[in-house]
Amino acid sequence: MRKERLLLFCLIFACTLHVVGQTKTITGKIIDSAGHALAGVSVRVKSTTTGTSSGTDGAFSLSAKDNAVLIVSAIGYEEKEISVREQTHVEILLLRSTQAMDEVVVTSLGIRRDKRNLTFSSQQLKGDELVATKETNLVNAMAGKVSGVQVTSSSGTPGASSRIVIRGNTSPLGDNQALFVVDGIPVNNDETSNIGGGAAGSGSNRLVDIDPSTIESMNILKGAAATALYGSAGAKGVVIITTKSGAVDRKPIITLSSDLSFEHPILPKRQWKYAQGPNDSTFFNGNDASQKTSASWGPLMDTLKIDGKPAPRYDPYKIFFRTGVTTNNNISIAGGGNNSSYFMSYSYMNQKGIVPKNDFRRNSLFFKYTNKIYKSLTSTFQLGYSNSNQNRLPEGASNGPLFVLLYEPISWNPYPVVNPDGSQRLYRNSRNAPLWAIDNMNNNSVVNRFLPAMTVNFTPADWLTVTERVGADIYIEQDKYTESPSPAIGLLGKILDQNINFRQFNHDLIVNLSKKVGDFNLNLLLGNNILTNYSQTVNLSSQGLTINDYYNVAAGATPSMSEAHYLTRKVGFYSQANIEYRKFLVLSLTGRYDGSSVLATNKSFYPYGSAAAGFIFSELLPQNVQQVMNFGKLRFSYATVGNEQVGAYSLNTPYILAQRNGNNYPFQGQPGFLLSSTLGNPTLQNERLDEYEGGLELGFLHNRISFEGSYFSRKSNHGIIPGAPISDATGYNGTTVNSAQIQNKGIELLLNANPIKTKDFSWNFTFNFTRIRNKVLQLMPGVSQLGRLIVGQPYNIFYGSKYQRNPQGQLLIDATGMPLVDTVQGIVGNVNPDWLAGLSNTFRYKQLSLTFFFDMKQGGDVQNDVEAGGFFYGTAKVTENRGPLVVKGISVVDNKPNTVAVNAHDYYTTRQYESSIQDGTYIKLRTITLTYDVKPSILGKTPFKGATVSVVGRNLWIYSPHFTGGDPEVSSYGSANGNQGIYAYSTPNSRSFNFTLKLIF
Amino acid sequence: MKKITISLIVLITSLSGCKKFLNVNKDPNNPTNVQEALLLAPIEVSISDNVYAGNAPVIIQDFIQGIAPNQPNPGFWNYQVFNTDFDGDWNAFYVITMNNLKILNDKAEADAKLNYAAIAKILTAYTLGTATDFWGDIPYSQAFQGISRITPVYDKQEDIYKDVQSLLSSAIAEIGQASTVTPGTDDYFYNGTMSSWLKLAYVLKARYFMHLTKAPGYTAAVQADSALNALTKGMQANSDDLGFAYAGAAGTENSWYLTFSPVSTYVMNSTVIDSLKARNDPRLPKMAKTAVNTGLYTGRTIGSIPGDLNAYSYPSDYYAGISASNYIVTYNEALFLQAEATLIKSGYSAAQPVYQQAITQHMLKLGVAQTDIDAYVVTRGTLTAANALQRIMEEKSVANFLNEENWTDWRRTGFPLLTKVSGALSEIPRRLLYSESDILTNPQPQQSAKLTDRVWWDAQ
Repeated sequence: MRKERLLLFCLIFACTLHVVGQTKTITGKIIDSAGHALAGVSVRVKSTTTGTSSGTDGAFSLSAKDNAVLIVSAIGYEEKEISVREQTHVEILLLRSTQAMDEVVVTSLGIRRDKRNLTFSSQQLKGDELVATKETNLVNAMAGKVSGVQVTSSSGTPGASSRIVIRGNTSPLGDNQALFVVDGIPVNNDETSNIGGGAAGSGSNRLVDIDPSTIESMNILKGAAATALYGSAGAKGVVIITTKSGAVDRKPIITLSSDLSFEHPILPKRQWKYAQGPNDSTFFNGNDASQKTSASWGPLMDTLKIDGKPAPRYDPYKIFFRTGVTTNNNISIAGGGNNSSYFMSYSYMNQKGIVPKNDFRRNSLFFKYTNKIYKSLTSTFQLGYSNSNQNRLPEGASNGPLFVLLYEPISWNPYPVVNPDGSQRLYRNSRNAPLWAIDNMNNNSVVNRFLPAMTVNFTPADWLTVTERVGADIYIEQDKYTESPSPAIGLLGKILDQNINFRQFNHDLIVNLSKKVGDFNLNLLLGNNILTNYSQTVNLSSQGLTINDYYNVAAGATPSMSEAHYLTRKVGFYSQANIEYRKFLVLSLTGRYDGSSVLATNKSFYPYGSAAAGFIFSELLPQNVQQVMNFGKLRFSYATVGNEQVGAYSLNTPYILAQRNGNNYPFQGQPGFLLSSTLGNPTLQNERLDEYEGGLELGFLHNRISFEGSYFSRKSNHGIIPGAPISDATGYNGTTVNSAQIQNKGIELLLNANPIKTKDFSWNFTFNFTRIRNKVLQLMPGVSQLGRLIVGQPYNIFYGSKYQRNPQGQLLIDATGMPLVDTVQGIVGNVNPDWLAGLSNTFRYKQLSLTFFFDMKQGGDVQNDVEAGGFFYGTAKVTENRGPLVVKGISVVDNKPNTVAVNAHDYYTTRQYESSIQDGTYIKLRTITLTYDVKPSILGKTPFKGATVSVVGRNLWIYSPHFTGGDPEVSSYGSANGNQGIYAYSTPNSRSFNFTLKLIF
Repeated sequence: MKKITISLIVLITSLSGCKKFLNVNKDPNNPTNVQEALLLAPIEVSISDNVYAGNAPVIIQDFIQGIAPNQPNPGFWNYQVFNTDFDGDWNAFYVITMNNLKILNDKAEADAKLNYAAIAKILTAYTLGTATDFWGDIPYSQAFQGISRITPVYDKQEDIYKDVQSLLSSAIAEIGQASTVTPGTDDYFYNGTMSSWLKLAYVLKARYFMHLTKAPGYTAAVQADSALNALTKGMQANSDDLGFAYAGAAGTENSWYLTFSPVSTYVMNSTVIDSLKARNDPRLPKMAKTAVNTGLYTGRTIGSIPGDLNAYSYPSDYYAGISASNYIVTYNEALFLQAEATLIKSGYSAAQPVYQQAITQHMLKLGVAQTDIDAYVVTRGTLTAANALQRIMEEKSVANFLNEENWTDWRRTGFPLLTKVSGALSEIPRRLLYSESDILTNPQPQQSAKLTDRVWWDAQ
């Protein structure tokens, strides 16, 4: 809209300016409300290309004509226009842009819009906020901060994946995670680095390759109306990342920052009283062949004597885990010349995990160069490069170290690790010793990734901009997993090599027209998008090692190999019209027509769109009301977004290279193929997500208090279920269908307040709240259950063996005092939280600021496998009480409350699946940050323009009253749908202290 | 507006180009057609790995106390079994094995490669017979039709038995046409020796005739007659066995070897060990290993407190070594079928020499010394009217160690005698549960069956 005013202004004053304009030099100084000089502020003369930026002392100088108008702008400050008139020196005060209502935010396709006029919900996070969390994984940095968004980390392994779901799960088996877009280019966030048959546990979500310190801001577009322009890829919400830039006419600013942090594991609770032994009376020393057992049902350690001496205690946790150390060093330079600007950044992050042999190192380089080629033509070229290198050990219920470690008896000395004959020294059978696993397993993943992008903006007239943007996401991943032979568990050793070549190319051509007609501001956007995605995976594996410690896959005993290529292409045409009437009514319409290579050829193209309206009612309120409530907006939207959540080649039923126990044929010299067990669906069409959204945005007291609330109701229709199960008797175990319906309804609230604001002291707080209710409405005709999805139930319930109960919900107890196990399985839990909330408080006193951020989850069950095993092995904290116990319930013998006591050992070793489900409610002090900004006056004589020291504590306090594991925020097997809420022997999350020094030259 | 119109025109004209651009959904990774030999090899592996030694066969060995896991109750072993426990088996039987057998058969018939078609039919008969003995009524007549028949009905077990016999008859006829195309090394079982396949077909016919000795509407004498008739063309030597030889390298381990891995904690059951000991059976050291800790033959009793794995016996390498063979249908079984049928037809004295021959052949196969064989036959070889069936079935169960036939024979004859395990949640199961996956995708009236229900032929 500004452009139109500018145009009018030009038209009216052009003649005058041309005739009477006299050039003179104008000098000035830019200060903030505290009187401090502001450096790097852009000052330009309106309607010209003349411009400069302020120096370190806030001063600037430029040539301009009389009556020139200066436009003064800086990120984070309100833009100001100053008429120079006769003055030759001006002092300009810039005010911090206070609240969200004044923000310019980056929306779909990189289009900047006033937040004021948006007809949908979005929430912005500043790069500084993300960096301040000290998370190496960008997704984790968002945790708890955005309403409507749930972030779930999988494990404490450095580089482990995290899942981000916006407004609930809508796809039964497909991806439910948000799309990430960096400067207009979609980037891949798949979970990779996990070779099939290799290390169990989570992989890495590929966003870990992106260095958070290169990010200027992140805007989260939640609803379908906000993301409709992104087409099918954006149906699950979009996170728009804008990277940092230089600025025209700015002297170089060099920023150095250095982080050091120390991490300590948050460990599951366990009993520390009883020694190894098969039942309550006997002690097994674990050494003798006849005294091996996995159980800690032995005698009390306090009274146990070995060779007449008190038995020594060993803390398996202390022996195994170490203090993690992370360093992160970053240097960046930003600046610009007359017609160009640049930003360069290099970071080296080195994270040494709390589990030996777990580490993650990342080199990342980022470069951005913007150049004004002609008056109306600007181009930006940018290149991100990263090299991520991760080492980790298998997790989960695998042959990795954690399964055994978490149950290791406290009477067992794990040293020495091996027997004199070189074999593993074990306290139990059937599993590797944890310390042996460290020495004999390797799992390494190296990713080299390139993110180039080129944007050209052509503005032949003020009302017309043509943007051409081409970008790519290219990475090469090399994974290698090896394990030594382990006769103890009958394994012969293994070498796995995997190479992945990933290439994604994106092109957008966007024509943007803006015009003011009478009381209407009109904006029309037309565009075309082409997206191609190619990946190649080559797997080489060898079962059985021929030479110890020699890990060349070609030299293994039984090598096998496989390769796969996938190519998908998409074409989209889109348009958007925004109509604003007298600054209080906004109407927004979008339409998109997508074509996809993965659908049936006669159904490859499909249209969709959205309609939304905003009513800024505060504009119509009397002045005295506006003094109190300065902003008020109601918005409504409806969107229907098409989507195709299915991989390439799902239409046919080919023959597949046969496998035996995970090894590809040939088998004993014979090649072999079997028909695909998944039946292709040649009529596959797109699915659809329909969403209604209403929102209210309010600003009080010049935005000292602001509020934003949204309600949404979304439903997926014709939902694609890839590999939806069909009766095995059809000859196939699954096919791809178009029949799922999943509904999500939710409320999102965001409250910002600045209750105290003085020159020296301020207090800010932000509170966000999310409540989502979801329900699986339909799967496929005649099918009411698909794994953890059950029609009529929320997404991802827990289903398994349970106890019998009477209609009042009381346990039924048999004559022996044991609870009766139901003969059928049933629903025993629900992973979805009742609500999520985040509360952040910042106190600033002069140069010192203190921020603490609480994150809350109410409800949402966790399947605690560690506890379930702990019952069995006698290591769970609850097994500390070993007297006979009377199970609360109703006896089936006499229909009266049970009074028959059972032996604790018998009770705990027969617990059913139901007993492993725990309420995952938590409150955690996710971060607490103390920052000291060195006063500019002190720095005056130094080469520094700014210096900041900060201390951050992460996860210092966690309250999880029903959960007996470490951190309840886990998903041990990674970020896939079906893995959610399972806590199973993953590397514990950690509590950490971080020290940061940041210097600006 | 004009711009929009122009754009629309551009858009529409570019769509045809787009269609071409989007036409890349051709799978470069997997073939759309393969020849018979490529199908036969992995099908045979699946027969051995899954149908003979997969998840359900292991659970059955728990039921008949052939093996025992070093785990406390509850579990399969004390009959805590859920429908979902058989999801993998239905996938293995129907999707991996029988659907590919159907494709192999159709392809071979179309290509006039009758020997491949015959093999496909014999293996289908074996898989179908095994499945119906596990689950009773099962889908077949409407099965394997993909999306065009999404909920195939379950056929009556009696009809499945007719299908099994007719598949075998057709196979026999096809082999009789002496087609010149025979499989080679893609046939792990017989290397394309069609005479061996023919013998197998007859033994299977006999096996499935004998399964119906007490089926409603069938008489033991007629079934025995049919079996004896078939057996005349059946296997004549141990070398005729349907055996799958595993190379025993990494990735080619015997499937029972993998089942007895230290992680599964499976060891031999005390019921088997103790009965071999009680009869002074010279096969004990040939069939079982001594416990590492004690040097003694010790089986594990289900329901007892789990002990050290090294305190128990494992099967010998002959049965569960890394390069052991899986003997799925054997000459020994044929002899025991003959003994049982002879007993029914002609009485115990006529059955005795066949019975002795059966024991002898199994012992020879295991490498038992002739003197030991003779001594054993002296003590165990005499049949009486009272003990004949019991002895035949006891000895058959030894010869069929780890074979799922033992469960069928126990259900048919009640021998060898079994008592339910300590902590049993029910009587000893007489059938398996239908898979949860089929209950969810293909609801059928038979699916409410319980473990203790009887299949059709298991009449009381």
